[in-house]
Amino acid sequence: MPADFSDLHDELRAVARDLLAKGDAAVPADWYGLEVPEPLDGAGATFAETAVVLREMGRAAARGPYLGTAVLGAGALGLLEPAPGRDALLRRIASGETAVALALPGEHGGDGAPFRLEPAPAGWRVHGRAEFVPDATEAARLLLPARAPDGALVIVDAGAGAAGLGVDARPVLDATRRFGDVTADGLAAGEASVRRFGGDPRAAVRRLSERAAAAVACDSLGLSEAMLDATVAYAGVREQFGRPIGSFQAVKHACADMLVQVSVARRLVAAAVRGLSGTAPGDPGTDAAVSMAKAHACGVAVDVAGKAMQLHGGMGYTWESGVHVFLKRAVLNRSLFGSPAAHRRRLSERYRRSPDGGGPWRASGALSTM
Amino acid sequence: MSDDLAEFRAGVRRWCREHVPAGWRAAQTGVPDEEFVRFQQEWFQELRRAGFAVPHWPAEWGGGMPPARQIVLYQELAAHDAPRLVLAFVGIHHAAATLLAAGTGEQRRRHLPAILDGEIWCQGFSEPGAGSDLASLRTTARRERDGYVVNGQKLWASGAMHADRCLLLARTDPDAPARRGISYLLMDMRAPGVDVRPIRQATGESHFCEIFLNDVAVPAAGLVGAENAGWRVARETLGAERGMTMLELAERLGNAGFRRLLETCARPGPGGERPLDDPLVGDRLAMLETEITGLRALCRDLVERAGSGAAGPADASIVKLYYSELLQRMTDFGAEAAGLAAHTELRKPMSSGWESGAWVLDFIGSWEWTIPGGSSEIQRTIIGERGLGLPREPRGT
Repeated sequence: MPADFSDLHDELRAVARDLLAKGDAAVPADWYGLEVPEPLDGAGATFAETAVVLREMGRAAARGPYLGTAVLGAGALGLLEPAPGRDALLRRIASGETAVALALPGEHGGDGAPFRLEPAPAGWRVHGRAEFVPDATEAARLLLPARAPDGALVIVDAGAGAAGLGVDARPVLDATRRFGDVTADGLAAGEASVRRFGGDPRAAVRRLSERAAAAVACDSLGLSEAMLDATVAYAGVREQFGRPIGSFQAVKHACADMLVQVSVARRLVAAAVRGLSGTAPGDPGTDAAVSMAKAHACGVAVDVAGKAMQLHGGMGYTWESGVHVFLKRAVLNRSLFGSPAAHRRRLSERYRRSPDGGGPWRASGALSTM
Repeated sequence: MSDDLAEFRAGVRRWCREHVPAGWRAAQTGVPDEEFVRFQQEWFQELRRAGFAVPHWPAEWGGGMPPARQIVLYQELAAHDAPRLVLAFVGIHHAAATLLAAGTGEQRRRHLPAILDGEIWCQGFSEPGAGSDLASLRTTARRERDGYVVNGQKLWASGAMHADRCLLLARTDPDAPARRGISYLLMDMRAPGVDVRPIRQATGESHFCEIFLNDVAVPAAGLVGAENAGWRVARETLGAERGMTMLELAERLGNAGFRRLLETCARPGPGGERPLDDPLVGDRLAMLETEITGLRALCRDLVERAGSGAAGPADASIVKLYYSELLQRMTDFGAEAAGLAAHTELRKPMSSGWESGAWVLDFIGSWEWTIPGGSSEIQRTIIGERGLGLPREPRGT
C-alpha cells in the first residue's frame, strides 16, 4: 500500500463510521468511484480503500448497492479493455448516478461464465442464468459474464429492462441485503455491448470471484468488531447478582475468545486485501489468502454474533435490540460467494498436487516475502 | 521487501544449508542427557559464531540485529528445520531481559558474556502453593550481613538439573502486601543447600524440576532492582517470553510442523488409501493452515508493534493463548490422522519442539504450552480485563 494512502484510510474509516452510525444513511455517492481511474472522475484508489468502506458497512450492517456497483461492477469494468461505452459507464458509477450489478452466482462465484453467446443475424443472442446476484434488482445496468462460441470469456453489458433479460427478486431473511436471479433468454446484444478483458480472461473472472469473496470477508470482519464492542459495553454495565456480568469468568472468557478470533480474522483479511490491491489477476498467493480470509472471517462472524446474542441475554433475542440483524447478515455472508467448506476445499487441493503438477505445498510467505 | 533484506535472507539460507546438522532429528532421538546438553551447547556456539545466537540483545553485548532481520532469521531457521535452543532459552531471553531492564552495570558485565559462553539458567518462580497465583509465593530470603539466606521450594523449573544459575523470586518482607514483599535474586545453582530433583512429566521426559532450598546463601550483589520490588522486575522477565520467541515458534509450526503433518497425511494406510484423499482430512488441514497463517501474522504484528511501542496490553496474551491451543488442535489432529502407528513412536527428538511429527507425544506435550507461563484460563482473564477493559472479578478472602 502506498504510504500516502494510510491517512486516507484513517479519514475514510472515521467518516464512514460517523455517517453509517446514523442508521439508514447511504454511502456517499463518490465512494462508488473509489477504484475508478482519475481520468474517468474516480479517486484512482485500490481495493485496499474499498476494503475500508466495506468493513465499516459491515460494522453498521449498512444497506445499499455497494457490493454490486463498486466492488463487482466497477471491478469488472476495470478489468475490461478501455472502450467509450465502458468508460462512460465507469464515469456514471463514479458520480453515483448509476447502480450496476455483475451477474456472478452468489452461491459460489465460480470461475466460469453463467451465460453464453449464440450467433444472431445482427450480433448475438445471450442465454443463461445466475442466481442470487447481489443488488441485481436495483441495478440500471447488468454485466453478464458470458462465453462466446469461440470459447472466449467476455462481459455483456445490458440495460435493465431489455427484452429477453429478466431480474427476479429473491427476498432473504437478512433485510439489509438484496438479491435477484438474472435470466437471459435470447437477449439481443450488439457487438458494441460485448466487452473483452484486457488481460487473461480466466484470471480476470477468477479475480472477480476473489474480490467478491474478500468483500464479504471485510463485511464479516466489521460486523464481528461491532458485535464484540456492543457485547463488551453491555457486559460492563448490565448487573446481576450485584455485579457487572462482565466480571464473571464465564462471560469474560467468552469475550476474550471473541477478541482472539477477531484478531486472527483481522490479519487474514488484511493479507487478502493486500493481495488484491497489490498483485495482478492470476496470483496464486492471493487466491489462497482470499480463501483463508473468507473461510475464517465469515465463520468467526457467525460465532461472534451468536455469542453476542447469547451474552445480551433475553434482551439480545428481542427484535428491538437489533442483534438479530447482525446475526442474519453474518449467516448470509458465510454462504455468499463460497462457504467456508468450499474455500477450504480449494485450499486443500494444493496439498494433493504432485511435484510435477504445479509444485508441492510450501508455507506461504515464509520463503518468499513477508 | 527491500534488497537489503532479500540479500540477508539469501545469506541466512546459505548458512542454514551449510550448518544445520543433517539428520539431527534421528541422531538426537532417545539420546542420554549428556549428549543432549553437548548438542545444545555446540549448536548455540555455532549460532553465536554466525551472529545468530542473541540477535535481540543490544549491539554492545553481541546483538543489535534489526527486528526485520530477526524475523527473516527465524523464518529461515524454521524453514530449514534447525534445532531449537532449549537449554539456552531462559538465559538468552529471561535472564538477559531482566539484566538489561533492571540489572546493574556490574551484573550485566558479569552475566551477559557468561550466557554467551554457554552458562545455563533456569527460572525459580512457581511453587507448590503458588502457580497461577504467583504472588502468593512463600520461599523466603532473610537478610544477613553480606546477603540473603534463602529457604523454600520451587517447582516447574525447566532445565534446572543442567542449570548454572537461577532467576529466583523470594519473599523478603513477610508483613508487606503479597506483591510488595518480593525480591528478585540471581542464585548460583552450585551453592550449598540447593537440591534439584527432576519431575517426570506426562510425556515420560524429565525436563521440569523441583528445587529445594535449604539455607542457601545469595550474596547482596545478586539482588536485581530494589529490595521488595521484585514483582515489577518479574513482570519484565515474563514479557520476554513473548514477541520474537513466539514468532519463532509460530514459524516452526507453519513450516516444518505443517510439512510433517502433510507427510503424515500423505502416507498410505494399511488399506493403501491416503488420509489426504479424504475430503474431511483436507478440510481439517486447510483449517489448520489458515489458523497457522493467522498466528504467524499476529506474531509479526506483535513484534513490529512492540518495536514501535504500540503493542496493546493484551497482545502478548492473545498470541500465547492462540499458539498453545492451536498447537494442541494440530497435534491432536496429527495423532488422529497418523493412527496407531503414531503410538509406536516412543521418543521424540530432543531439541525439537512439540511439532516433531511424533504426534501422540507432541499432543501430550502440548499441555506444556497451555498450562505454564500463565495458563490459558489466566490468559483469557488478562485478555478480558486488560484487552477489553471488562471489570475485575472480586478478590477472594
